[in-house]
Amino acid sequence: MSTLVFLEHHEGAFVKNALGVLAKAASLGDDAHSVVVGSGVRDLAATGGKFGASTVLVADDQQLAAPLPQPRVDVLAKLVRDRGYDTVLFGQSVLAADVAAGLAARLDAGLNWDLVDLVNEDGRLVGKRPALQDSVHVDVGWKGEPRLALFRSGVFDPAETGREAQIEDVEVELEDFSTGATMVEQAHAESEGPSIEDADIIVAGGRGLGAPENFKLCEELAQALGGAVAATRAVVDAGWYPYSAQVGQTGKAVSPKLYVAVGISGAIQHKVGMQSSQTIVAINKDPNAPIFEFADLAVVGDLHEIVPELTQLVKERRG
Amino acid sequence: MRETIAEPIDPEDERIEVGIAIVGAGPAGLACAIRLGQLLEEQPERAKRLGDVPVAVIEKAKQPGAHALSGAVVNPRSLRQLFDGRRRLAEMPFFGEVREESVYLLTRHNALRIPAPPTMRNHGNYVASLSRLCRWLAEEAEAAGAMILPETSATKLLVADGRVRGIRTGDRGRGRQGEPLANFEPGSDVIARVTILCEGTQGHLTGVAIDRFGLAGENPQVWALGVKEVWRVARPLDRVIHTMGWPLRSSPKYREFGGSFIYPLGDDMITLGMVVGLDYRDANLSVHDLLQELKTHPLVRELLEGGERLEWGAKTIPEGGFVALPNRLHAPGVLVCGDGAGFVNVPALKGIHYAVESGRLAAEAAFAALGRGMTPWAPGALAGYDEAVRSSFIWKDLEEVRNMRQAFGHGFWRGGALAGVMTASKGHLPPGNARTERDADQELIFSGRASDYPAPDGRLTFDKLSSVFASGNKTRDDQPNHIRVQTRVPLVLGHAWERMCPAQVYETQSAGSDGLVSVQVTPSNCVQCGAISAKGGRLTPPEGGSGPEYSLT
Repeated sequence: MSTLVFLEHHEGAFVKNALGVLAKAASLGDDAHSVVVGSGVRDLAATGGKFGASTVLVADDQQLAAPLPQPRVDVLAKLVRDRGYDTVLFGQSVLAADVAAGLAARLDAGLNWDLVDLVNEDGRLVGKRPALQDSVHVDVGWKGEPRLALFRSGVFDPAETGREAQIEDVEVELEDFSTGATMVEQAHAESEGPSIEDADIIVAGGRGLGAPENFKLCEELAQALGGAVAATRAVVDAGWYPYSAQVGQTGKAVSPKLYVAVGISGAIQHKVGMQSSQTIVAINKDPNAPIFEFADLAVVGDLHEIVPELTQLVKERRG
Repeated sequence: MRETIAEPIDPEDERIEVGIAIVGAGPAGLACAIRLGQLLEEQPERAKRLGDVPVAVIEKAKQPGAHALSGAVVNPRSLRQLFDGRRRLAEMPFFGEVREESVYLLTRHNALRIPAPPTMRNHGNYVASLSRLCRWLAEEAEAAGAMILPETSATKLLVADGRVRGIRTGDRGRGRQGEPLANFEPGSDVIARVTILCEGTQGHLTGVAIDRFGLAGENPQVWALGVKEVWRVARPLDRVIHTMGWPLRSSPKYREFGGSFIYPLGDDMITLGMVVGLDYRDANLSVHDLLQELKTHPLVRELLEGGERLEWGAKTIPEGGFVALPNRLHAPGVLVCGDGAGFVNVPALKGIHYAVESGRLAAEAAFAALGRGMTPWAPGALAGYDEAVRSSFIWKDLEEVRNMRQAFGHGFWRGGALAGVMTASKGHLPPGNARTERDADQELIFSGRASDYPAPDGRLTFDKLSSVFASGNKTRDDQPNHIRVQTRVPLVLGHAWERMCPAQVYETQSAGSDGLVSVQVTPSNCVQCGAISAKGGRLTPPEGGSGPEYSLT
């Protein structure tokens, strides 16, 4: 098996999700290659070995500066053709999904998407794909090679192996039709503190807060803990907090080390967005709230009393 | 009206021109597309004149079947006729022929087996998942040359010069206030020579066409709400089961008409559901929770023991029958089929075969009106469809049972007795037509029955949000609200909506000094069942691709 992992990066850093996929690839065989595509990315590429790649291929070209999919499809398609990779793996993102789909079309290859795992069963690669609203995992395979797979966000953690990778430059040849698009503008939603997808600690508020101004309680606790603030759909719907902070089925999926759920009942639509958090602490006055069924620490009580006190204690310990 | 009816606005070169536009990839629309494909294959020169896309099917769901929900036990006669030897029943995705059936009258703890009323006998019929059947029919329709456009809602009826010119598809990528977002795509005018509305229950454009062209029948349409679940079970079920009685109450005071169905889907799955007429009066009534209560009955609990819920869904059923049918099924350039027209036989619990039959007849009428030198939008050019439906078994069946649904307004026992007389006399007795009354006009009362609904345990019984999740609904939250309701309403109506809605779309706040309550609407929970349209609001199609993603319902 020869595997290539698309190592996506933004603003000088690898995307956590792509590093997770690389760790998975490395665990399946000792020879996982990765490719870094961009402009001025050679220094960044050199650090790829730390995360499990034996060889890091670098496609460095000014034409590759903008995060557009088609030129990346060109690079990957050439690599697969020239070097005969039989498996190409991607971590879910808007760009990676575009590149994966384009590559599948270009190579007439099979793409399994939304996978949550990949295993080697007697020499055969088998993907695990959730179905029926995540209630079961179905086995999926490929009829031919190369096998392309796109993994759901946050399913693998990056692993630092600390090895030295071989760094190799590859030639960039772009098709005419791939350079038709240019990037006009790139915009970011402004936010203070870490984004909820990257945060190790999240304090999330739900309708139990009672009023929009009470989000202040979550913000203060998050600040004391050095974390980010998230919200449930109900409060985003009610206009208490911005959509960018929404966690759940129709918001973001997060997997922080600590998730503090404040006044959140724990409807399944919320649960699917945060259930892979390492430690879940729930504060709710209703002892029958569903969130207590999957919280690691359940605090039944009035959040208006508990949260400020907790914030104070955290500040004292840290201060 | 401006929201739902318009003249074509796109410049001519940006319009999507098709031969025949079918709205809705359900059993009626797909049967229509399949029949058109057969006819166009026989006469290719007519197909050529219809342009690059002779037949297009517009479907709001993610894929055909994803919004299709029914019991269902299907009478196969119209599918057999549609395929006419090209496909055998054995090739269709049924879960087997009905061999055994039981009807029970339930009380809280007991089940009394009663003989099946003649209208409910199902020998020779087939158990199906309508969602799955529609996926299969869609493949057949595509093979027959139809172009299916999923994730596309038909939001406006295009009318110019007194005739229907096609439909306009909905915009995509609008924010909550209607503002265009980064991925905004405007809708398009789809121009067709004939537009065939096969939208099913509570058809959005069907209602527009009925109003615009004066097609309404003598009586208002009435609806029932059906809520169902699909379970994987440990032991196979060997028969189809229907129940009456508990958890509904028999007193005429409550006007509770309905029952449950429990069907086997092969050896390892069961589908079960609860259907209740929306003319009920109790503001505490929740069909979702009645179904949860039903599952705690010993008869049902035993069937589900050791099983697991796979899917959940809800949909309304037009129940007005013969007396509520439109007075005409066509207007210049447009035809109305299936559930949208109200072709449902309530005592037999059947409508799919009427949908298929009406779709087939609409295809033939539209095809005939597209002959050389004909003008399909001339007044009366499509009248052949009305004649064909009136001489079909659809008409005969519905006429025979025309008064049965209304009889149950007198309560379960008197209604049952009257229904017996009607069956025995093939609808001749009592003579005349009983009237229907609008569901929204029924006076509402409070009964306190909500305290009986079981607390959800997450295994046998579920809360509404878990059910919405099991429907596969993951509608984008930040899109415009597609539900038109008043948000300050009398307390009893606010509570009735909150309980009625199986998907927890409405929540009432506490009453103000004027006795009115505010209603908070969460449109993204909506599974587009249509109950709100029967009870004083109006459901419109949200952005294409929204709503449930049924696969087994």
